[in-house]
Amino acid sequence: MKIAFELNGSPVSVDAPADISLLQLLRDHLHLTGTKEGCGVGECGACSVLLDGRLVNSCLTLAPQAGGRHVTTIEGIRGPGGGPDDLQEAFIDYGAVQCGFCTPGMVLAGEALLAAHPRPTRRQIREAIAGNLCRCTGYQQIVDAIEATASKRSEAKIHG
Amino acid sequence: MERFTYVRAQDVQQAVALLNEPGLRSRVLAGGTDLMLLARQDRHLCDRVVDISLIPELHRIAREDGLVTIGAAASFSEVLESPIVRDTAPVLSEACAQVGAVQVRNMGTIGGNVANAAACADSLPALVCLDAAARVQTPAGSQEWPVSELVLRPNRTQIPDGGLLLSFSYRVPHPEARSVFLKLGRRNAMAISRLTVAALGHLDGQGRIAEARLVPGAATPQIRRFTAVEDMLVGQQPDAGLWQEAGRLAASEMVRISGRRWSSEYKEPALAALVARALSTVFASTTSLQGADR
Repeated sequence: MKIAFELNGSPVSVDAPADISLLQLLRDHLHLTGTKEGCGVGECGACSVLLDGRLVNSCLTLAPQAGGRHVTTIEGIRGPGGGPDDLQEAFIDYGAVQCGFCTPGMVLAGEALLAAHPRPTRRQIREAIAGNLCRCTGYQQIVDAIEATASKRSEAKIHG
Repeated sequence: MERFTYVRAQDVQQAVALLNEPGLRSRVLAGGTDLMLLARQDRHLCDRVVDISLIPELHRIAREDGLVTIGAAASFSEVLESPIVRDTAPVLSEACAQVGAVQVRNMGTIGGNVANAAACADSLPALVCLDAAARVQTPAGSQEWPVSELVLRPNRTQIPDGGLLLSFSYRVPHPEARSVFLKLGRRNAMAISRLTVAALGHLDGQGRIAEARLVPGAATPQIRRFTAVEDMLVGQQPDAGLWQEAGRLAASEMVRISGRRWSSEYKEPALAALVARALSTVFASTTSLQGADR
C-alpha cells in the first residue's frame, strides 16, 4: 500500500506492505538506518522515534499508522549548521556514548523530554529514559548530558 | 506477501461496519503495543486491521455532572495527563503512570488494556475500583457492562466478535474520598505487574470508615472488589492493626478465589503488606498524602 507522511520535515511517499512495522519501513524501505532494532518487542527503546512529537517504539508501530502524520527520526535531529545539536554535543562531551546502539533512541527520548519539560529534575530525566536500555554507560553520563543541555537551553532563553 | 491489510476508520460507525464486513477476519488496531506482538507470534492473526486510533471521539475525556467518560482509544499518557481524571480519580492516573515506560504509555490505550485483559493489566483494578462501566458498540446497538463483569478472566472478555469498545465511565467518588494505586514489579520501569492494589475510601464525621473499596490486580482471574474486606472495614476506626487484619483477610480471600498456586507463598504476604500500605495511605489522618507512596 502507499504510505505517505512527513519524515523529518519533508513529505515522503512509499509503497510498502501494510503488515510491517514503522521500524522496518524506516530502515528497509527508506534506508534510514539511524533508528536501531534492539529487541523488536518494545522493551529496549533503541527504535524510539517521535510520532506527532510523541516518543514511541517504532517496532510496535504499524507502518501505515504513520500515514498522514509527522515522524522524526535521529536523522532529523541536527544543529543549525547541519552537525550535531546541543544535546548530541552534550552526549559526546559527557561520555554518554559508548557502543552507540542505544544513542539514537536516547537522544530522541531526551529531546521529547526537553520539549515537554525544559527544566526536568534528575528523577524526571531517569523516568523519561526508563524505556531505553543502555548496556554500556550505566546511565549516569546520559542523565548528566540531558541535564546539562536543559540548563544550557534555559540559560540561552533567559539571556538570548 | 502481506499477512493482513490495513484500513483506517474515520468514525465509530465506519469502524463497526468495517469490523463486521462479511468474509474478512478483522481486528481492532489501537495503540498496537499488544497487537504488534501478537502479529509476530501468529502469522494468521487476521485478514485486516481496522485502525481506530485516530477517531477523535474515542479520545474524548469529559465530565458531565457527576459522570466522567474516557474514550477507549485514549492513550495511557492522555489519561494520566487529564486534569479531569487527576481531580476525580487519582487511582486511575497513578495506574496509567505505572504502565511500561513513556513509549508504551504514548501508544498503548486504556481500551486495549481492558480488551486484551492481560492478567497484569494495570488500568483494570483502577477501573474496577471506580465501579467503571464499559460501553461496547456492535452493529445491533450499544451495550454496557461493569468492567468487573466485562473481563471474565485473563485474555477473555464479553466483548462480542465485531464489537468495538467505545468508552469507560465512572461516577465521581465522594468529595472526601482518597485513592491510591500500588504496584509490585521486579523493577520500576517496564516491569510486568506481579501484584497491584487499587484502593479508595473516605471517613465519616466521627472519623470512622464510611466507604472502602479494595481491588487487588494480578491476584485473581476476574478483577473484582474484595467485598469481604470492604465490609469488614466499614464502620471501624482507622488503625494500624486494622490494616494488618484487612491485609490478612485479603490474602486469604485471594487464595479462596484463585486456589493455592506456585506463587501463593510469595503473593500472600506480599498482598497483605500491599493492602495494609494502601489502606493506611487512603485513610491517613493528614490530607497531604495523595501519591505519597510512589
